[in-house]
Amino acid sequence: MNGQMRRWFLGTAACYVIILGGLLYWHLAADLGTHSANPRYYRVFSEPRGTIVDRRGEPLAVTLGEEENFRRSYAAASLTHVVGYFHPRYGMTALERIYHEELLVGRTVQTTIDLELQLKVESLMEGRIGAAVALSPATGEVLALVSSPWIDGNVLAERWSEYSEDGRSPFLNRVTQGQYPPGSVIKPIVYGTALERELTSPDQIWNDQGVFRVDGRTVQNFGGRSLGAITTEEALALSSNTVFAELAVELGDDLLSVLRRFALGSEPLWELGGQSGFVPQRAYSDHNKALLGIGQGELLVTPLQMGMVAAALANRGVLMQPYLVQELRGGFRLRQITRPVELGQVLSESVAAQVRDAMVLTARSGTAQGVCSDEVQLAAKTGTAQAGAKGDHAWFIGFAPSPMPQIAVAVLVEHGGTGSAAAAPIGAAIIEEALKIWNREKGIR
Amino acid sequence: MRPLYRAWLYFVAWLGGMALWLFYNKGTALWWQPLAICAICVALFIVTERRGCPPGGLQLVSVLVLLGWVFLFRLDSGWAARQFWGFVVGAGAYLLGLLLPWLHPRFGQLAAVAALTLLVLALVFGTRISGARAWLTVFDTFTFQPVEFARILLIIYLGGELAQNRLNVKSAAVLGLFLLLLALQTDLGPALLVFLVFSALYFTISFSWLKLVLFLGLGTAAAAAAVWKFPHLRTRLLAWLTPWDFLDSKGYQVLQGIFALNAGGLVGRGMGEGMADVIPAAHTDYILAVIGEEFGLLGTFALLLVYVGLAFWAFRLLLEVGDGRLRLIGLGFTLLLHVQVLLVVGGILRLIPFTGMTLPFVSYGSSSLTAQLWMFGMLTRLGREQL
Repeated sequence: MNGQMRRWFLGTAACYVIILGGLLYWHLAADLGTHSANPRYYRVFSEPRGTIVDRRGEPLAVTLGEEENFRRSYAAASLTHVVGYFHPRYGMTALERIYHEELLVGRTVQTTIDLELQLKVESLMEGRIGAAVALSPATGEVLALVSSPWIDGNVLAERWSEYSEDGRSPFLNRVTQGQYPPGSVIKPIVYGTALERELTSPDQIWNDQGVFRVDGRTVQNFGGRSLGAITTEEALALSSNTVFAELAVELGDDLLSVLRRFALGSEPLWELGGQSGFVPQRAYSDHNKALLGIGQGELLVTPLQMGMVAAALANRGVLMQPYLVQELRGGFRLRQITRPVELGQVLSESVAAQVRDAMVLTARSGTAQGVCSDEVQLAAKTGTAQAGAKGDHAWFIGFAPSPMPQIAVAVLVEHGGTGSAAAAPIGAAIIEEALKIWNREKGIR
Repeated sequence: MRPLYRAWLYFVAWLGGMALWLFYNKGTALWWQPLAICAICVALFIVTERRGCPPGGLQLVSVLVLLGWVFLFRLDSGWAARQFWGFVVGAGAYLLGLLLPWLHPRFGQLAAVAALTLLVLALVFGTRISGARAWLTVFDTFTFQPVEFARILLIIYLGGELAQNRLNVKSAAVLGLFLLLLALQTDLGPALLVFLVFSALYFTISFSWLKLVLFLGLGTAAAAAAVWKFPHLRTRLLAWLTPWDFLDSKGYQVLQGIFALNAGGLVGRGMGEGMADVIPAAHTDYILAVIGEEFGLLGTFALLLVYVGLAFWAFRLLLEVGDGRLRLIGLGFTLLLHVQVLLVVGGILRLIPFTGMTLPFVSYGSSSLTAQLWMFGMLTRLGREQL
């Protein structure tokens, strides 16, 4: 009988342990805070909320209105792709969602965005379909990020149906989610890899006939023109497909491993996430290799990734992790400051300097010639990626001022035509504006 | 004073102090009630010890009652005020259970008659206030739920019968009639509880695998029949499986319960910070969800520990009981309490379908509190060798 009592007690205790398991699950493991039937989720929309500010403390997202009737106001329409929106009917996205818990207790989220530059980029991209991102090369701070067209967080309810029916997908953040063939903007990496492997030198002379034959197929220069006797450096500046196809065939799978070192083909680990793009495991034919060298074939990249590439070339070959939030403060909690994270030396410092020189040449006398004044000391590369019947994608990557770059930019205009005509002027204008702001602030300091 | 008792007194004092602070902030006229609960508990404690019965369980029960009162006060001070008077009556019931020989073999048959009579009265004269529960009104002023008492009486009878005569036709018939009367009132939570406790008692005296399979089959068949017969049970079952599809009915309650627990996290949102007003039956069946939201996992885990402690105390007490019949009845009491806790909490946690019963000693309800304290008094009495 005593044994029986002990068994009943153990049985009861075991049942309580199962109950404890249920408690652990619902209290800690389950995540139901934003479930659509949870009234707690809706209550947060009637409470005041912390502010999201730019790098100088200018408000990007603030709560306006009276008690019980708050609404969120955003400083720029294009910020919806960065800061996100916060709306009782449509929920929350981007930073508003990621830092929801912090904002709820009144904390301030300070971003790396420069509102003045963001507004400039917004005006440059307005009416186009594309993406532009500006980074600080030394740290990876994102200074401006615009995906066009955008949705305006201030008038969501009024224009929601219009946005939903818009065939240009304004909800898509093209900077992180858009995957495109890079075209010629991949050439600086091919150039750097070839220099690193000592396959060529900047002043080696090539005879560009306009056509490169491989595997019984051909790779042609843009517009079929032949550039004649040019150095490797000039081949980059004038964007010779034949030279880079030949270099890529010789590099083979080495090129693919360097592309992966630049974090192409992997998802970016930062606040907004994003697509990985695509870098093939290996190239199966020489024609494939040749196509990789001119940024065509299977290769896919996002504008953010190309921005990171430009920033790494500007930062002496050191790739930095991009980030958007530099500080969380207020709300009776400890201040949290983000520290820049190095992703590694992707090209040696000397090779990176040679690539930079070739990109300076591109801006001085190559495909990006005359897009901005000489004082800017621009280093750039344009690209025109073949994208079917709707027209080519126009690319631009660049940074300035070239000896000590302060800003790196990537611009993509979907089906915009040539990189020189459609993307380079936008990229140059972004860089000029950023340097203007930077010089003004340096003057104040 | 022994260390355990001292710790208990500290804890009671702390709870009382917390309650006082609450009134101070809310400026209520009920400030004396938790202090009175503490005082009554101490008085019951002294009486229990003087009678030579183990008072340890009472310490744990007083913690539960105070916690329940504090949370009822937080929900609606009117409920707390009524719960206090329920506790005063319950304290009397505890003393009656402790001091009178309810479990004398002579009263066994009488208990069965009383249990069945209460249910018949409830069926004939009862009014339904909250869904399935039947209430009886006596002299137009005093209302109570007969089933809370009837199931204790039934366990007294069945425990005695099983210990003396094994299972015979008479006791089986009484059980069947009892379950049938509950089914007629569509009050199936207590029916399930009584059936489970009866099965446990039966297997304690004579266990065989064949019988276990038979009982399981019987239980499953009865459950299937009940689900087929009663549409509201079907809703409950489906609300358990897919609460999202039943947001406008029972699924709403299930979801609100787990939302509340989830919002509580580890340490809870703090007293009064939860959204208790959206949880149906927050003051009765779902009070655990309110505690979970405001005190978090630490709070609900502590509550669970109190119940486990109570079980440990009860089973240790039962080991000392020499008389097999009394021990079986005591086991019945203990299981009646803990199976109810497990069914209710398991239902809130979506481990099993929700059966709709109170959380013993904590939930609002004078009948439930009084009946539980009466049963607890009888259980404590078993700690001393007497009838």
